[in-house]
Amino acid sequence: MKLRSLYKLLALLLVFGMFAAACGSDDDDGSDSTVVDDTTDDTTDDTTEDDGVADAGDVAEDAETTEVVEDESTRNFGGEIAVGLEAETTGMRPWEETCSSPCYNMWDAMYDRLMEPTADGNVGGNVYESISSNEDFTVWVAVLRDGITFHNGKVLDAQNIADMFPVQQAGAAGAGHVSASNLIDVQATGALEVTYTLSQSNSAFPSFLTRAPIGMVFDAELAAADPDGYNENPVGTGAFQFESRDIDNETVFVKYDGYWRMDAEGNQLPYLDKVSFRPIPDEGTRLDATLSGTTQAAQTLRQGTIRDARAERDDGADIFLFEFQGSNTGGGMYNVLVPPFDDVRVRRGLTMMNSQDNVIEALGGTGISLPATQWFSPDSPWYSETVAAAWPQFDFDAGKASLQEYVDDPERSDGKAAGEPIDAELSCPPDPTLIAAMQVIEQTWTASGLVNVNLTNFDQQTHIGYALGSPDDGFVGSHGAHCWRWSDDDDPSTNLNSEFAPPTAAVAEAAGIPDIVSPINFSNYFSGTIFQALVAATQTDVFDERYALYEGVMLELADQVPIWYSGHTATAIIVDPAIQGLASWVLPDGTLGAGLPNAEGRWANAWLAS
Amino acid sequence: MGRVLAARLARLVATLFAVTLLSFLLTSLLPGDPAVAVLGQDNIQNPELLAEVREELGLNDPIPVRYVKWLGDAVRFDLGESYINRGQEVSDTIKQRLPVTAQLAVMAIGIALVLAVPLGVIGAYKEGKWQDSTTSAAAQVALSVPNFITGIFLIWLFAVKLDLLPASNWNRISDKGLSANLKTAILPATALATTQMAIFSRLVRADMIATLKENYILSARAKGLGDRYILMRHALRPSSLSLMTIVGINFGALLGGTVVIETLFAVPGLGFRLINAINQRDILVIQGITVFVAVVYVVINTVVDLLYAVVDPRIRRG
Repeated sequence: MKLRSLYKLLALLLVFGMFAAACGSDDDDGSDSTVVDDTTDDTTDDTTEDDGVADAGDVAEDAETTEVVEDESTRNFGGEIAVGLEAETTGMRPWEETCSSPCYNMWDAMYDRLMEPTADGNVGGNVYESISSNEDFTVWVAVLRDGITFHNGKVLDAQNIADMFPVQQAGAAGAGHVSASNLIDVQATGALEVTYTLSQSNSAFPSFLTRAPIGMVFDAELAAADPDGYNENPVGTGAFQFESRDIDNETVFVKYDGYWRMDAEGNQLPYLDKVSFRPIPDEGTRLDATLSGTTQAAQTLRQGTIRDARAERDDGADIFLFEFQGSNTGGGMYNVLVPPFDDVRVRRGLTMMNSQDNVIEALGGTGISLPATQWFSPDSPWYSETVAAAWPQFDFDAGKASLQEYVDDPERSDGKAAGEPIDAELSCPPDPTLIAAMQVIEQTWTASGLVNVNLTNFDQQTHIGYALGSPDDGFVGSHGAHCWRWSDDDDPSTNLNSEFAPPTAAVAEAAGIPDIVSPINFSNYFSGTIFQALVAATQTDVFDERYALYEGVMLELADQVPIWYSGHTATAIIVDPAIQGLASWVLPDGTLGAGLPNAEGRWANAWLAS
Repeated sequence: MGRVLAARLARLVATLFAVTLLSFLLTSLLPGDPAVAVLGQDNIQNPELLAEVREELGLNDPIPVRYVKWLGDAVRFDLGESYINRGQEVSDTIKQRLPVTAQLAVMAIGIALVLAVPLGVIGAYKEGKWQDSTTSAAAQVALSVPNFITGIFLIWLFAVKLDLLPASNWNRISDKGLSANLKTAILPATALATTQMAIFSRLVRADMIATLKENYILSARAKGLGDRYILMRHALRPSSLSLMTIVGINFGALLGGTVVIETLFAVPGLGFRLINAINQRDILVIQGITVFVAVVYVVINTVVDLLYAVVDPRIRRG
């Protein structure tokens, strides 16, 4: 009897403990921080339409979207939000750290971009009021807006931009982009005038000014004086200024009262008083955090999470999805310098036996991601119907026939006897959905009876390392068929030019361009035609000419298939519906911005409805 | 006692040497290049730049040279600097993260003990009866369910459905107070505690059953002492030696074994940092945290061994 009482007491204590923790004093724990300033105008009309999705959202045709409240007349000021991100940024220095989607969410809060991508695929002025080039695109002159100040009160002038250049040249992230953009000199040629000099023509140079490491404004004097210290106290010109950083837990920014941007009604941005970012790597927890109000928003690049969030929303959860169908696409590559992938019959055969729909389903993207046929999504201005028609679509029998031709060839490149199946290493990082997708491919290839598939999984860094190779192997890499991601929503030249340049010194030598070697030509596919087209596309700014050149490149890729695609990447920012204005951001001249590609939120433009 | 301590110390040094050597070798032999992780995929077009970074990080030196250099610094408590978070000392990282992981481990062990001891005692006292079957079955279930599944369930229940506790992240006591801290700590600690609770309760039950068959317990009963008094004063203490050992071992293991739960709940402890470092090939951080956990683990085991003497007079006198 006494023991029973003790047991009951202990059980009671445990339950009490849990509830005591749950119901403890309302310290500012950041867990329920949707706070709207009582003094603000908080009337909201719940019937208006989301211009975020309608204007900038580029969702799959069969994707369901939700109408969201966004009434231009009820922009509230004040309040704070917490945003869940898939990863922590490695630092706060644009010239040093590599920045991806979660990082841009944070950096965009405190750093301004010199130029901004627009909804129609162009680039427009932001901190720069204008930019123009000479005839051959080797000299670019940009003019800064007047009256922009850093968070420390210092005035932004052309000299600061010029002084950023040596810091960028020495930075781990900056050096590569300086080289890729052909930038060799930056000078202040007036109080607000900056002159960029390039070593070669680059008509797409302004697109480098839309992103870190070259395109984000930092205090050059501070950065040069104490680069490590800048991580602790970063200074930008953005809408929010840095308040605190608890790495892997929370980074907090507060409203910068001296911010230069106004909204369409002449109100000074930002609307929110405070925004904090919390890395929550687990996709389920990040979604749960938003569902429970622990955070007010969550960023995701995973189709499976979008699927789960839609299901929660359809079940009545109070969330809204800002979705974006970007050009970035999943898929893979064949190492064309390694038999049997050096033979186009093998590449074409394997690609045609690969059902995109089944792979997308395994990735959880059915109804969310569009099957890809090229580097550009159907919403991209660079998308080509001609390329889409030329892409080797799923046709198992035709693919098998192509592969059979190679297998029966007595002169086949892998040295095996005619009739023997080929050996194909198929590799991907150990993400559950990626493994499922690779298993789909493995099954179809194996079903042909012509392929011995060796499915391998390595963590991300190892995976990249195998594809990159090393100076010892001339950066050929030791991969076979490797899952990979391709493309983004920047100008095509920013990644195509390096990913299809000569992969090794020997290839470069043979092509007569010995000085140009790109270790990040991961598939090792090189073609003089493609290379010339890519160079030519940086020597003109006439869209139609550039379009034709990129279309030609894509047609050759569809014919030679050094790479394959699954689906374009659907990304989303999942928010509490009280968050408004996120996707409808505009440039200072009123041009509609590019929306939320890669789930990069522009939090300066968000406000809280009541 | 002095000889025992000296032997323990020698074992500690040998263990740490083996741990550092093995972890250094394993991390160094991983195929991913830390220089690539530093530069990022978009910034490695330039082989000269890659070579520069490799040189700067000392990656061109042979592994034995790098190991000796690292060991020489480590014995002076200099664990180096993160490759990825440049400017961040590994020892500072450990200092910042340790209190979080230690709190989780202490809370998990505490919750587990509070539940396990009475369950184990009940199981032993009611051996073979329905109470024993029930507690054993509960322990079996708790042991069988991976703690991340428990964690997911706790998030769903307490954060999403009941809206009582935050789903993720961590409130530091220094910033937001104890109450806010406990709100973020209770779910991950409970998720960690379930497996521990099952292990502890089974251990207490088994030891207690053996103890209850001792002659001195029969003697106590014959004297007419109450069951509760016998269980708590005469049986529990001698039955807790194995428990103490396992609590010590598991506390050490929890310091390095909270990777999954810290990642699930986005708790900025040692485990979360370690998994990020592994993904980023941040070798010195991996090395530093691994060695630190190994040191703590070995020290805790040594302390537990020494505590035996305190708890059991037979050992002390022997």
